Amino acid sequence: MRKKYLVLILLGGLGFAVGCSSGGTTPAGIPSGGSTSANVLAIAVDGGPTANQTGGFIYPNGVFATATICHPGSSSNCVNVDHLLVDTGSVGLRILQSEVSSLGLPTVNASNGSAAYDCTSFVDGSYVWGPVESANVTLAGENTGNIPIQVISSSPANIPTSCSNGGVNDNTQSSLGANGILGVGLEPFDCGEACDPSTAESSIPPSGAYYTCSNSGCTPAFASCGAECNDSSSVQQVTHPVVMFPLDNNGVIVELPSVSGSAATVTGSLVFGIGTETNNQLTSTTNVFTVACDFFNTSFEGQAFNIDPNSCTGPGSFIDSGSNGLFFYDVNNVLPPCPASPTAAAAFYCPSSLMSLSATVQDPNNSSITEVVNFSINNAQTLLSSTNAAFSTLGGPVLAGQGFDWGLPFFYGRNVYVAIDGQTVPTPAPSPWWAF
Amino acid sequence: MKLFFRRSISFTAFMTLGIVWAGLSSPALAALGGDVASVAADQAHMKANVEVKQAGGYEVHALRAPGGTVVSEYVSPSGRVFAVAWHGPFFPEMQQILGSYFQQYSAALQERKPYGHRPLNLEQPGLVVQSGGHMRAYYGRAYIPEMLPQGLKVEEIK
Repeated sequence: MRKKYLVLILLGGLGFAVGCSSGGTTPAGIPSGGSTSANVLAIAVDGGPTANQTGGFIYPNGVFATATICHPGSSSNCVNVDHLLVDTGSVGLRILQSEVSSLGLPTVNASNGSAAYDCTSFVDGSYVWGPVESANVTLAGENTGNIPIQVISSSPANIPTSCSNGGVNDNTQSSLGANGILGVGLEPFDCGEACDPSTAESSIPPSGAYYTCSNSGCTPAFASCGAECNDSSSVQQVTHPVVMFPLDNNGVIVELPSVSGSAATVTGSLVFGIGTETNNQLTSTTNVFTVACDFFNTSFEGQAFNIDPNSCTGPGSFIDSGSNGLFFYDVNNVLPPCPASPTAAAAFYCPSSLMSLSATVQDPNNSSITEVVNFSINNAQTLLSSTNAAFSTLGGPVLAGQGFDWGLPFFYGRNVYVAIDGQTVPTPAPSPWWAF
Repeated sequence: MKLFFRRSISFTAFMTLGIVWAGLSSPALAALGGDVASVAADQAHMKANVEVKQAGGYEVHALRAPGGTVVSEYVSPSGRVFAVAWHGPFFPEMQQILGSYFQQYSAALQERKPYGHRPLNLEQPGLVVQSGGHMRAYYGRAYIPEMLPQGLKVEEIK
């Protein structure tokens, strides 16, 4: 796929030392809980930013982290943004406008020279929309230099229908359930070559990604992914923060402890880099699964949910910390769905008691690489009637013909490695891959 | 026989498209539930390359948009689109491919419960929409259950 390269430092670096806390001015209050190394970011399943508010909702199985966002070139014009959803299923940093408006972040232009707007679609029909802006981001002790992020507009206008697609705009904390999304998935950019004019296969920009806007509306636009896309322009696409670190930039490890059923809150770590420090090595029992079209294979109850690497048709299966349950098709009907709304448990499974199940995952590019994954599903109505936030046995149905979505319950009690496409990794298998 | 069928579809589509554009103030929306001419409208809107395949009793028109997303439109022998499927790095334009079913789909999306992202499973009378995957890797299908040909499994719509 992509040529490998080792990322060196900083787009437009302005002498900003790695880690806001080394020399210079320390921005207000970098949280230190659980974060003892520069490449370790504390993460928590704590119910989300609304959990403790009057009338607020608990976000079940949402895992969150804090980032320090600075105006490019400043070490004092900064804010800490807490409760960013740690999402291995997406790429790039997206933050509610209300969280960063005080910084006055500069606009990033699209390839045509006009201000770039980004659209992010989620499969449940929600979306976020807003301008691409340049920010200097610090996560634990790692700094990105100046990178494009998406600011989620609080008062958007002219959202094109190719972005909204009839869905729900998650541009408030109460709708999104978070202050933003920290996408740390498999790819270095949220779009990549298809959105870069140097590498796109068409002279027409694809719709659903980047736009530029005028009084008459917003139309699809190209945006550069820089050197990796053979584009001499600076990077304009929303970028995976980790690839912009000077070190520890080839992937992440999500480390969450086991949860026996449910827990009030759970804390863990997002470790940066794979095989680059003593704290991010692969172990002798870690299995590496490469992906095809960013999916891999799962078989369950005798059915295959596999990706065809040639046609990219599936349905493929995937690992995703941004999904808050295990979502899969149950052909044997051993798991009854919960009663329909208005309960919070609608769209989950409601067996009468704990069900122990087993699936097999497989590398789609090497059929001999397989692993049995045991999991359990319990009654979601019972689980969600508590005030807990973490649930290892929360699962839900999808219809026949949909792939297996290994959401956050998969992560409890595992170290899950996510190796970023195009980065150098210490394995025979080239990135992108998942390992656990 | 096959070649003749395909040529006559193109001719019909071209003529119908001309009539439709002349008669409406906005481009004709397609395609689920629409006739095969609406597939041509989709192709024009998406600026897509199209490939037509014959399968057991129905045709599959695969439209590949510039960004790489493929939308497959399943056409019955009577010329109606009974299913659409998509896969690729970009979310398809749902208003275009769902046509008159878009309002029903959009209304169902507003019922989303907080919080948490998960695959979409919309199963309503007369319309099923599934949407899964993640950023840069989307897939899904929408179909009219009562119009599915005998023996066609849902999993084959992709």
